[in-house]
Amino acid sequence: MYGFEAMTFNIHGGYLEAIVRGYRSGLLTAADYNNLCQCETLDDIKMHLSATEYGPYLQNEPSPLHTTTIVEKCTLKLVDEYKHMLTQATEPLSSFLEYIRYGHMIDNVVLIVTGTLHERDVQELLEKCHPLGMFDSIATLAVAQNMRELYRLVLVDTPLAPYFSECITSEDLDDMNIEIMRNTLYKAYLEDFYRFCQKLGGATSEIMSDLLAFEADRRAVNITINSIGTELTRDDRRKLYSNFGLLYPYGHEELAVCEDIDQVRGAMEKYPPYQSIFSKLSYGESQMLDKAFYEEEVKRLCLAFEQQFHYAVFFAYMRLREQEIRNLMWISECVAQNQKARVHDSVVFIF
Amino acid sequence: MRSSENGIESSKEISQSEENVINFLDSMDTYLILVDSLSSALRQGWFELASARQSMGASRVNSALFDLKSHHASTTLQVDEHEDIELPHFTLCKWASSDDPEKYSEEAKFQEDELLRNKSDSPRPQQRGATSHCSEYQERSAEIGGSPVKVDNHAERERFKSLSVFGALVSPKLRATQSSFEKALEIVVEISNVRSSLLRSYDQVHEELKNTK
Repeated sequence: MYGFEAMTFNIHGGYLEAIVRGYRSGLLTAADYNNLCQCETLDDIKMHLSATEYGPYLQNEPSPLHTTTIVEKCTLKLVDEYKHMLTQATEPLSSFLEYIRYGHMIDNVVLIVTGTLHERDVQELLEKCHPLGMFDSIATLAVAQNMRELYRLVLVDTPLAPYFSECITSEDLDDMNIEIMRNTLYKAYLEDFYRFCQKLGGATSEIMSDLLAFEADRRAVNITINSIGTELTRDDRRKLYSNFGLLYPYGHEELAVCEDIDQVRGAMEKYPPYQSIFSKLSYGESQMLDKAFYEEEVKRLCLAFEQQFHYAVFFAYMRLREQEIRNLMWISECVAQNQKARVHDSVVFIF
Repeated sequence: MRSSENGIESSKEISQSEENVINFLDSMDTYLILVDSLSSALRQGWFELASARQSMGASRVNSALFDLKSHHASTTLQVDEHEDIELPHFTLCKWASSDDPEKYSEEAKFQEDELLRNKSDSPRPQQRGATSHCSEYQERSAEIGGSPVKVDNHAERERFKSLSVFGALVSPKLRATQSSFEKALEIVVEISNVRSSLLRSYDQVHEELKNTK
């Protein structure tokens, strides 16, 4: 019964909810970001981060540092926290936490397949994979020539298997097919996650539905903008949009026929939550759209912590940490390239 | 009479040497401006690349995705060295076909402004996987509008193809990165030509200084 989670939630989820709220208090604040934005070198960034929870992960890194090293070590911290929560979780929370990994698994599968198509060494590709998306047979992906083999040889035994039913063909893998596979898999994953959350019910269902709907809508906008001027047809574009979200189905119909960013703006401004996002952009501009979407996402993720006794806090925490890592990557790049004046172009403050 | 003839000859020599010095200084000025432009273009390109990584994610924009299969270069540099002209001249042939470089190498030398002028008259084909129809469409368009339309569509196709190592649907920020580095490449070639003329002017001035001593 919705509203009575307080009676039973803490039996199985109380410890981990306390853990994740403790993790949340370790997120970097605006004061931390201001200090980081004033750093002159990557070693200065390392020095400032040593006073945060990232300190133990960076302290043994030798100079000169590279931006990818900072991102890698910060990601390791996220992975350690995730694994700690996963090992302590019982059903259905453990399934919920597994769902959070599937997006990274899809990215890793596409990375391996694309890299293999380009005749890259598998070991080199494995080093670039996201640690949250690793699974046992991932290296075997390199032997597949088409999607049918990909599924039959490797993915049939992974959690991604159910998502392949919509994109199994015998066509050889090429750049466009791989892109369509990526987006089709992600669409199936989001819809499956959405259904799972609906089944959980209660506050989890309510909050996660909002967060996943926003994710689906954002993906629809990005697919539309990225496909303008490419060989992707309108029908193919429409097939990549998820079957839920605020934009489903009428917004999708309008986005499918958009030919430039202004038409996308026209389609999106009919929806009040997205009107505020597009009002921040000038006509014909799409450079700041990513930041505007990230800011809206962070606002919604922070609101998830205002309520207790639901699983959405775990999802929100993982996403907020990923945003924090993106912020650190951006600040590191601006410092390394001596572009500190542009650092606030993409930093999204969480608190 | 003889003194006036000598005077005319010496004034001609002086004006010639002044001209050489002015040419040298002009070339040096152009060279320095171009080096500064190159630095700005590269800086902008690297910044936009970081922005694209921020937008698309580090797993989609990284060096592990570069294509190591052997293929023809889509952009080549031609060096013209003629016996009667001392200066080598460098020409950039952009976006020749990576499948058949001979076919488009001449047409790819058209000026950028001609391509932009014809761009509005050439709607882009939208059909995925219909490259055979695409080329027929372009042939018909070329018959109507002339070969710059064909080159424009071809150049865009080659641009899209070179970016497809990062995926078929890339962020506009990555396309902006490509434009910045493309511009930097053009500036590099221009620097080479200017440097060639700069060195020649320098040799001439140096020669004259030696003769006057």
